[in-house]
Amino acid sequence: MNRLPRGLGLSFFVVVAAAMILLGRGSWAEDPQTFAAGRAVYTKWCAPCHDPGVTHPGTNALTVKYKGVKSGVLLEWKDLSVNTVKVIVRHGISVMPQFRKTEISDQELDALAAYLARNTPSN
Amino acid sequence: MRVPPGVSQSDFSAALAEFETVVGKQWVFTSDEDLDLYRDAYSPFLNEPEERIASAAVAPSATEEVQRIVRIANRYRVPLYAISTGKNLGYGGSAPAYSGCVVLDLKRMNRIIEVNEANAFALLEPGVSYFDLYRYIQERKLKVWIDCPDPGWGSVVGNAIDRGGGYTAANYRNHFDSHCGMEVVLPSGELLRTGMGAIPKADTWQQYKSGCGPWIDGIFSQSNYGVVTKMGFWLMPQPEAYMRCTVSLPRYRDLGPMVETLNYLENSRITAGFPDIASPLIGYPPIAQIQLWNESGPPHMTDEHRKLLTAVDLGYSRELEAYGLKSQIPYWQLWLSFHGPMEVIEAQWQATQRHFAKIEGAKFSIVDRVSVPLDPAKIEQFHEPEFGIPSLRAFSIGARTPWNPTPSKGHMWFSPIIPRSGAAIIEANRVFSQAARDLGMPLFRSFTLPACFWERSFIFILATPVTEDPETNKRYREGFKKLIEIGGQHGWGEYRTAPVFQKSVMDVYSFNNHALQRFHETLKDAIDPNGVLSPGRYDIWPRHLRGKPS
Repeated sequence: MNRLPRGLGLSFFVVVAAAMILLGRGSWAEDPQTFAAGRAVYTKWCAPCHDPGVTHPGTNALTVKYKGVKSGVLLEWKDLSVNTVKVIVRHGISVMPQFRKTEISDQELDALAAYLARNTPSN
Repeated sequence: MRVPPGVSQSDFSAALAEFETVVGKQWVFTSDEDLDLYRDAYSPFLNEPEERIASAAVAPSATEEVQRIVRIANRYRVPLYAISTGKNLGYGGSAPAYSGCVVLDLKRMNRIIEVNEANAFALLEPGVSYFDLYRYIQERKLKVWIDCPDPGWGSVVGNAIDRGGGYTAANYRNHFDSHCGMEVVLPSGELLRTGMGAIPKADTWQQYKSGCGPWIDGIFSQSNYGVVTKMGFWLMPQPEAYMRCTVSLPRYRDLGPMVETLNYLENSRITAGFPDIASPLIGYPPIAQIQLWNESGPPHMTDEHRKLLTAVDLGYSRELEAYGLKSQIPYWQLWLSFHGPMEVIEAQWQATQRHFAKIEGAKFSIVDRVSVPLDPAKIEQFHEPEFGIPSLRAFSIGARTPWNPTPSKGHMWFSPIIPRSGAAIIEANRVFSQAARDLGMPLFRSFTLPACFWERSFIFILATPVTEDPETNKRYREGFKKLIEIGGQHGWGEYRTAPVFQKSVMDVYSFNNHALQRFHETLKDAIDPNGVLSPGRYDIWPRHLRGKPS
């Protein structure tokens, strides 16, 4: 394992973490490689219903459901757990159907859940 | 382990083991958890014993694998049920028509074999969705349009063989009619190509539909005589421009002349875009704009207007008509669209106005006049499928919105074909609104207008909700069957339906003591003597299952 240069150590992480919190982002949220696979699954399967704007029925439904308590845009949620994403994708909810493994494989679902939960501190 | 009815556990285990040698272990699904993914998400039998469920699922990636699976199924008499993308929501989803079938999931067969710009056609496998095909065309900057239904994640092949429809020009909207050539795995496992595809070296498979001799493509739609593994489609060359216009008419009696004029103009190809009938006075939207109403709310209505609507009979009252005339709110509004070179479509619009001007008080308006392709930033202002652009916006129907705080669990479409006349619209309203009241089904407000997907006929579509409550679902199911029966008594039949209603619907097609159904069964016995392929689909049962409850 590579070691950090002497002198960066713990204080480096504290500063980076504090900066991320101030920017309202979870850990490593902007690392393009880490979430590329999950983002691709989101773009293909989720975006048509869940991207921002009233023309996306999933976003519209969540906006009404949460009445301003939190955003209707999934990508902005900070309390979405990996497990919740997996349960909803495999069971569906309201008019959203469940997705088969020939559509979203377990591996793709892992990547999607990690991407959607990237802003949630416990993940 | 779930086991198909009539199959021994040892035979089923042996069949599954052989399926695994064909597709690999990871593409044979047998756990309850995996098989729950094949349930119909909109089933009106949700969580009830009659819900149709699979015993296993197998997902091939190539035609040769489908052939081998079908041969194994014959050897062990294991019933299969083929699905394409399984997104036929409201019409059965990915669940089998006969509980215990092994779902033959073709989603992995997702190759776009060819998109030919020079002669505007495509050849596809069944796992290709409208989104997939659209992306493929856009990435290559090909100047062809697809014709898609509202939900863009469906299979192009599957929607066509289920005889679905879309929103562009008349000769592309009927998806089965716009296909050209099929490749089919027969229940024996043998491979067949139709039309010019039957000539081994023909390069006209997607250029001439019928070949020579009997044209059999129709028997592979809404049926169980084969597994379609490739299908060709004619595409629409990208038009230069698009124009959307309205014709507004002031009086209730104008409905009949409006439909007659539309029929003449459409059958003459003076207008070919999706025609959409609305009633601003009754408060009924054009079908293509329902999603806009769900997103932004219905247009404002005064209290006086709203009150008048509570006292109409079949959408009419003298007072309502007088209010419309006074307030300049049209009784009927026909939305028409035109595709082509601007000078051509402007001439078509001129001719259209000349014909409608024969109706007293007709008013005309151009709503949109745009060059194509659309500016991507403006696409969301339109109903995307009218531009051959797939989307999922239609899922605002039934979903939670500011105007629908209580979402449904799904819906089932009641969609009988009725004649293309004003009189038929009024008669269908009379018959079905009375029936819906008697049956306690929430299908009507003041008046319903039909959809104009097909030339020559209307579809009188009514969405019936699916709820979480079994008692409510039971009432709606029984009501749905009664509506089918009542429609049949008036000569109206569904164009398509979910497996749970296929028997009721096919019973209506009863001319000469059900000669059509008996012919279907004769074909079934000849083509699929072991009855392994999609038993019960559109109420076509193999001999050993006829007359038994599904």
